[in-house]
Amino acid sequence: MTAKHDSPDERVAQIIGRWASYGRSGLLPCLQEIQSLTGWLSPEICQQVAEGLRVPLADVYGVITFYGLLYDKPVGRVVIRLCDDIACFINGSGDILRATQEYLGIQPGETTPDGMFTLEVHPCLGHCDIAPFMLINDQPVGPVRPEDVPEILEQARRAVEVKDT
Amino acid sequence: MYEPILLRRVGRIHPTRLSDYETNDGYRALRRALTWRPEHIVQLIKESALVGRGGAAFPTGIKWESVAKQPVTPKYIVCNADESEPGTFKDRVLMENDPFAIVEAITIAGYAVGAEKGYIYVRGEYSKAYDTLATAVAAAREAGYLGSHILGSDFSFDIELRRGAGAYVCGEETALFESIEGKRGWPRQKPPFPTEAGLFGKPTVINNVETFANIPWILLNGANWFRSLGPDGSAGPKLYCVSGAVNRPGVYEAPMNITLRELIEEKSQGLPDGRSLQAVLIGGAAGTFVGPEHLDVEMSFQGLSAIGASLGSGAVMVIDDGTNMWDILRRIARFFAHESCGKCFPCRYGTQRQREIVERMANGTVRENDLERLVDLWATMRDASLCGLGQTAGNAIESGLRLMGVLTT
Repeated sequence: MTAKHDSPDERVAQIIGRWASYGRSGLLPCLQEIQSLTGWLSPEICQQVAEGLRVPLADVYGVITFYGLLYDKPVGRVVIRLCDDIACFINGSGDILRATQEYLGIQPGETTPDGMFTLEVHPCLGHCDIAPFMLINDQPVGPVRPEDVPEILEQARRAVEVKDT
Repeated sequence: MYEPILLRRVGRIHPTRLSDYETNDGYRALRRALTWRPEHIVQLIKESALVGRGGAAFPTGIKWESVAKQPVTPKYIVCNADESEPGTFKDRVLMENDPFAIVEAITIAGYAVGAEKGYIYVRGEYSKAYDTLATAVAAAREAGYLGSHILGSDFSFDIELRRGAGAYVCGEETALFESIEGKRGWPRQKPPFPTEAGLFGKPTVINNVETFANIPWILLNGANWFRSLGPDGSAGPKLYCVSGAVNRPGVYEAPMNITLRELIEEKSQGLPDGRSLQAVLIGGAAGTFVGPEHLDVEMSFQGLSAIGASLGSGAVMVIDDGTNMWDILRRIARFFAHESCGKCFPCRYGTQRQREIVERMANGTVRENDLERLVDLWATMRDASLCGLGQTAGNAIESGLRLMGVLTT
């Protein structure tokens, strides 16, 4: 287990240590666990994972770049995954997207200059019973109304700030 | 009045409280299974005529039998919980609300085919489902329902959870194995089939969440009971995910003699006031559009096949007359272009060209022979793609264009 007072570097090393005996089959869960701590997978981390799990570095990147939920570039503290698939579209996801873009001043795929929010538009996220739907990091939110968007985003910002203190 | 089976405990028990599960028929099936010979269970599942609920509708008993017969060890049980077909959310509801049922069923499968290890591969975006299952697996282990010498028997079995990482193609069974093995989720050439060489190259039973959820009930109530639910060839209960332009979207359980009309007008309480039905997409992005004239179709494998559709995962997406069909079709085309894994050429190229042509049609900038090229792409993708993703990538768009009268041949 990782203890809370350990530095991020130490905690990354501990995670790698725990998955090392799995070898290659530990690669995906190891990367996922590290990313949940660090937000993204830096070149240094990828190198350490490659060595720890004895997987070629190119294959580490092969895996990271294949999967949509793994990031080899920094992303916002809050990643907004907005569903724009059929059921959400029929229920007004277009208005939600516009409201979110307007409030944050960014386009899909972009991060706010303060590094707080990244906006992503996704195909079906499997919550069509509460469309239109978005994931705020891993928290499900729906049905969303356009007028709710600012409050949803500010709540997410406050949650991150509370975590920091 | 039909009494739900798969959804019986949903919303009525505390999902991760084992005692709640036990007092509501939980683990009765495993206790019974351990008093039977494994072959008997496989035979029972075969006789039940249960077929896979993930979309391909392959007979579950036959899968189990071929793994049971393999002399090679170890063997694996994999639960495909990478639910990603657009419009499908039934597995999430089961995992979030009745996780022990899935854990118990996987354990029964392990006993039946001689496996000692199971994996549940949960869609990456389904955090709550993952956490709920993780709690359930830990509680089951603590109580002796997983681990060595389960309930004092000679049978040992354990389950490991894995999370997907955002790739639709990983719902394809061999791509899912690759993902667990720590690789890019690229589908494998078949044969060999998973029953012979699956996870880590070993004989593997892989079933969908909903398929597993049926197993304990078959053990408790028998194969005849199961077959008697629903019409011939479509045994057992089915979960339908109704979404889009309806008053009450949700997961509804019914025997498969239910009609599309009953699902939309009764279960989901119809379309919102002032809107009328334009089309229904059955089976998700890999499925088929049907028009209002087919409202009385029986939502069974045969009923849908008779009108050129298929049940797929059980997604029913209702599209109203105020929605522009081109907006729907271009989403489907973008979806496949985005999710094609790039391993095989027909799908990598075909899904991109399909997207471009559909965008041009939607924008009114069609080029000469675009439609002919599209028809040709569908044939090529269907015949030559490595996996189901490419093979079905043209289905919905083809049926949509037919419904709109764009495609007439």
